[in-house]
Amino acid sequence: MIEALNLSKRYGSLEAVRDVSFTVASGEIVGLLGPNGAGKTTIMKILTCSLFPTRGTARIDGHDVLDDPLAVKECLGYLPENAPLYTDLTVHEYLDFIADARGLAGTAKKSALERVTDECGLSPVFHRGIEELSKGYRQRTGLAQALIHDPRILILDEPTTGLDPHQIVEIRELILRLGKEKSVILSSHILQEVEATCQRVFILNEGRIVAQGTREEMERGMRGEVLLDVTMKTSRGSPVDIKTLESSVGVEKLVSFTTDSRGMIVMRLSLTPNAGGEEAVFDWAVAAGMKIVSMVPQRLSLEDIFLSLTKTGAPQ
Amino acid sequence: MKTLVIARRELRAAVNSPIAIIVAVAYLVFTSAWLFFRNQFFARNEASLEIYFQIIPVVFVFLIPALTMRSWAEEKRMGTLEVLLTLPFRESQVVMGKFWGAFGLLAAVVVLSIPLPVTLSRLGAFDPGQIIGQYIGVLLIGAAGCAVGLFVSSLCKNQVAAYILSGLTLLTVTLLGSLGQLLSLSGWFSRVLTFISFMPHYESWNRGIIDTRDALYFLLVTALFLYLNARALVARKSA
Repeated sequence: MIEALNLSKRYGSLEAVRDVSFTVASGEIVGLLGPNGAGKTTIMKILTCSLFPTRGTARIDGHDVLDDPLAVKECLGYLPENAPLYTDLTVHEYLDFIADARGLAGTAKKSALERVTDECGLSPVFHRGIEELSKGYRQRTGLAQALIHDPRILILDEPTTGLDPHQIVEIRELILRLGKEKSVILSSHILQEVEATCQRVFILNEGRIVAQGTREEMERGMRGEVLLDVTMKTSRGSPVDIKTLESSVGVEKLVSFTTDSRGMIVMRLSLTPNAGGEEAVFDWAVAAGMKIVSMVPQRLSLEDIFLSLTKTGAPQ
Repeated sequence: MKTLVIARRELRAAVNSPIAIIVAVAYLVFTSAWLFFRNQFFARNEASLEIYFQIIPVVFVFLIPALTMRSWAEEKRMGTLEVLLTLPFRESQVVMGKFWGAFGLLAAVVVLSIPLPVTLSRLGAFDPGQIIGQYIGVLLIGAAGCAVGLFVSSLCKNQVAAYILSGLTLLTVTLLGSLGQLLSLSGWFSRVLTFISFMPHYESWNRGIIDTRDALYFLLVTALFLYLNARALVARKSA
């Protein structure tokens, strides 16, 4: 269980995190989504006790990050961005050090090392120096570091950067498996990443949560509106009657209207779903003597929500 | 126990890199060359190693920064500090671990030099008590130097900067006492300079005088800088 209670963090005059609150239950995978500099890493650093919040606090499994950092650190595993590792050690030496630091010894340590080596697919490089590892193996060694003590809380900062598509699928499957009994927070600026693994998503911008919900809720939100891109040929000089178009059945409003290099009219319309708006547009074009070249329905994707919310000065 | 885990990692990393060997070889070659060539040990015909131990603080000015420069600066640059600080340790335990790692390596290098007095002891009536005192002095000034070097490294993000800054700091505190004599200062200012400088406290050990105040001085300097180091780690969190 992860609880963030009104977290704020200020670096000098920059407010990196502003009044962020959320909870993550166990057995839940939550994604923090946002452009670079939105405050994802800062939130994670506060949760892992590496940074004090300016205001607010957080509780990890009931332990307060300000009052009892040692207990917090014991029950969480953290993979920082870019998986920093000691390049002067071998994978074995490194994981051995982490296991010692986590207080594992004897058979418990041996079985923990075997488990993470297996889970993260590290056996081919187990005795190699970290310096010679590829980005993919480094990322997996970092993940093994976070998993070695089988923590109840997992905090992963961009866990799949630098991996090839095959490895990404593997790591996602691992995260999904781990997420069945742990609380997992992962951050990403890659939307597919979050869509593929997370049950719930927080979209962050300029330190605030600007949108949140389950994937289902987001998808329902997507269906709330249908965008239609229409390209039309018009006889030169004849005026286009937008008013009639906008008052047609099923048409909400005109989103954009431009003329391209070939003299075609390109417009984007917002339609009420399943109200026959497409037909109305067609009829309107025919009545106005224009020829429709293409009509492409655009579903509002998570990407569009993300882009519109994370533009500077987005509505709260 | 937890400090040992960190100290062991530090030592492993140092042994895997060429730094440990470079420091050991540089120490042994330089101190021996100083004794036998520069100061003509055999020609002097004295059963004393004071000359040998006199130069060690100066050698430390160059070698201790090499042992401590990476400790924090490199962890910050590589980002590994993020992981280290989320392991279940207190800041003080992490600092102590780093200290024992650096000091352990330095002590190992000093131990490697023990064959020298042992070999020479056959040649004349050396005072074994004085030599033991000299080694204690070396370890004390080495511990204080490591604490200073670690603290400076905790303020830097670049190991070259850490090396130069801690070298300059050590040079200053080592030779500060001589500055008073050099400028023929007198009075309280000169006494303060002599008091805060490493060298005068080390010299009494070198002359074979065992004074608890000189031991206490180095232990306090070590403790002070380790404490400042831990404070710097905590302060980083509220940056």
